[in-house]
Amino acid sequence: MKKEYLTFIPDIKDLIENQEVKLTIKDLTPGPRKYDARIVKAILSSSPTRLPDGDVLWVRSWTGVLYPQPWAIKIIGGAGEIEVGLPHGETLRAGK
Amino acid sequence: MAFRDFREFIEALDKTRDVVHIKQEVDWDLEVGAIGRRAYEMQAPAVLFEKIKDYPEGFRIFGGSLGTFRRVAIAMGLDPETPVKGLYAEYERRINQPIKPVIVEDGPCKQNIIVGDDVDLYSLPTPYIHEGDGGRYIGTWAFEVTQDPDTRWNNWGMYRFMIHNKRLIVGWPRYSSHLGMMLHGKYVPQKRLMPIALVLGADPLCHMVATAPLQINADEADYAGGLRQEPVELVKCETSDLLVPANSEIVIEGEIYPDRTAQEGPFAEYPGYRMEGAKNGVLWRVKAITYRNSPIFTMISLGVPPDDSSIAASLTAALAMKRRLIKHDIPITEVYVPPYGVTHIAVVGVKSGGNNVAKQIKDVLTARRADVNKIMVVDDDVDPFDFDQVIHAFATKCHPTRGIFCEEVEAPRGNALTPCYTAQERRAYRGAIALFDCTWPPERNKMNEVPVKNSFDIMFPKELKEKVLANWETFGFKENK
Repeated sequence: MKKEYLTFIPDIKDLIENQEVKLTIKDLTPGPRKYDARIVKAILSSSPTRLPDGDVLWVRSWTGVLYPQPWAIKIIGGAGEIEVGLPHGETLRAGK
Repeated sequence: MAFRDFREFIEALDKTRDVVHIKQEVDWDLEVGAIGRRAYEMQAPAVLFEKIKDYPEGFRIFGGSLGTFRRVAIAMGLDPETPVKGLYAEYERRINQPIKPVIVEDGPCKQNIIVGDDVDLYSLPTPYIHEGDGGRYIGTWAFEVTQDPDTRWNNWGMYRFMIHNKRLIVGWPRYSSHLGMMLHGKYVPQKRLMPIALVLGADPLCHMVATAPLQINADEADYAGGLRQEPVELVKCETSDLLVPANSEIVIEGEIYPDRTAQEGPFAEYPGYRMEGAKNGVLWRVKAITYRNSPIFTMISLGVPPDDSSIAASLTAALAMKRRLIKHDIPITEVYVPPYGVTHIAVVGVKSGGNNVAKQIKDVLTARRADVNKIMVVDDDVDPFDFDQVIHAFATKCHPTRGIFCEEVEAPRGNALTPCYTAQERRAYRGAIALFDCTWPPERNKMNEVPVKNSFDIMFPKELKEKVLANWETFGFKENK
């Protein structure tokens, strides 16, 4: 049984296929821990048939709109639970 | 007489049939949010969900505390039928008489204390509210307590926060909010952890005052005391010196990282739209959770108005604006923030209008933060609370070139939750403000230049009006506005 995950991305072009990427995913396993977030290193594919041993990755845009077709994700390992960076970092960068 | 706690408020709502108890099991995953949203849009009673899927018996969720002006009146101990103008007047009277809180040694919120590694945010029935949200939002109808380390100013604010994992919460208090200002002014530069407490299920007037844009250094607890007409009882947190209402249902304590972050959002926000998430949210590690037995988790299924946010902020934002304008000696009569304007529109009534007065109002209301982006200024022959009258004044008195003033708002004064701005403007806190001067220019000669308003009140002799009113029902009329 494949597991299902969810990710949010500013731009679909940010999802790079067939190479190791780092991204934040939410676990969609039903139960009280659904939507638990973690940062992982993973291989992605827009075509689940090209990554047959991958799990299901649902993708939503930065405003939460669901892309109709799920991607495939093969998790290589954890990349920590949080990122180094300033709170409101993108606002501070936009201000500069 | 103030409510001792949130449960007494629910009892009051029971008496007036302003709350529905849902006893059948509901799913925290979207179902609670859907029922809550539908209830707002039908202007139905508040909702107490008594059985939540995946959670123990007794863990409850409440939505819609102040989702109607009726429930605001009940929260203030007033007649539920009190008109909006009456609520505004009473709120203004009370907010001008703050009462200091009292510190107590213990309180119901300490009935269960979970600290350190035993903390698990998933032990609380936090709803996943809207499809497409970035996570389970634990902070919606909750308020955050933080303190300025130098001045000891205790700030209460209402900002969105979601669960990241069992020990971490990430949120998006605006950069220009009091919390954002305190975080970036006093903690980030020194790389200090910032203590924070998230309060759910306090007296609804505590939540209401947390939505108020009060001045910097104003302790909201004092104003909550004023609104309640009794001091708020505060108790010290388990893991910091922060003080929280002792009768709260749930308190979550932690520390905000000055140099760590996580992805946050998106979230369907108070203006009625889901806007983009943030790459660098405000992240905090939870150090303790305390809660009452059979806790009630307070939430709001935010969206198109009216809901708790747009109703509460109608009063709190309007009266905060009014105080500022009076402080600057601007000759205003009333300020009204209509719920459907979600604090982005304000109507300001003036005793004497004209461009100069209108511009002064705009400058005062947007000096530090331009949360409002459309301001309508009306003469004192217009009731700011009556939108039919306001639209009439806008249509007839506002000159398309000489009565409308638009200007850019530079960062960080813009409201980053303004749907009409671009995503880039929102992220950079840039924006714009439009001023609609719907008043007669004072330089126009009232004898022969100012058109005379054609209304029952103005166009007929006093004696005739009295006769008409005296015979009104005799004529066969039944309905009055």
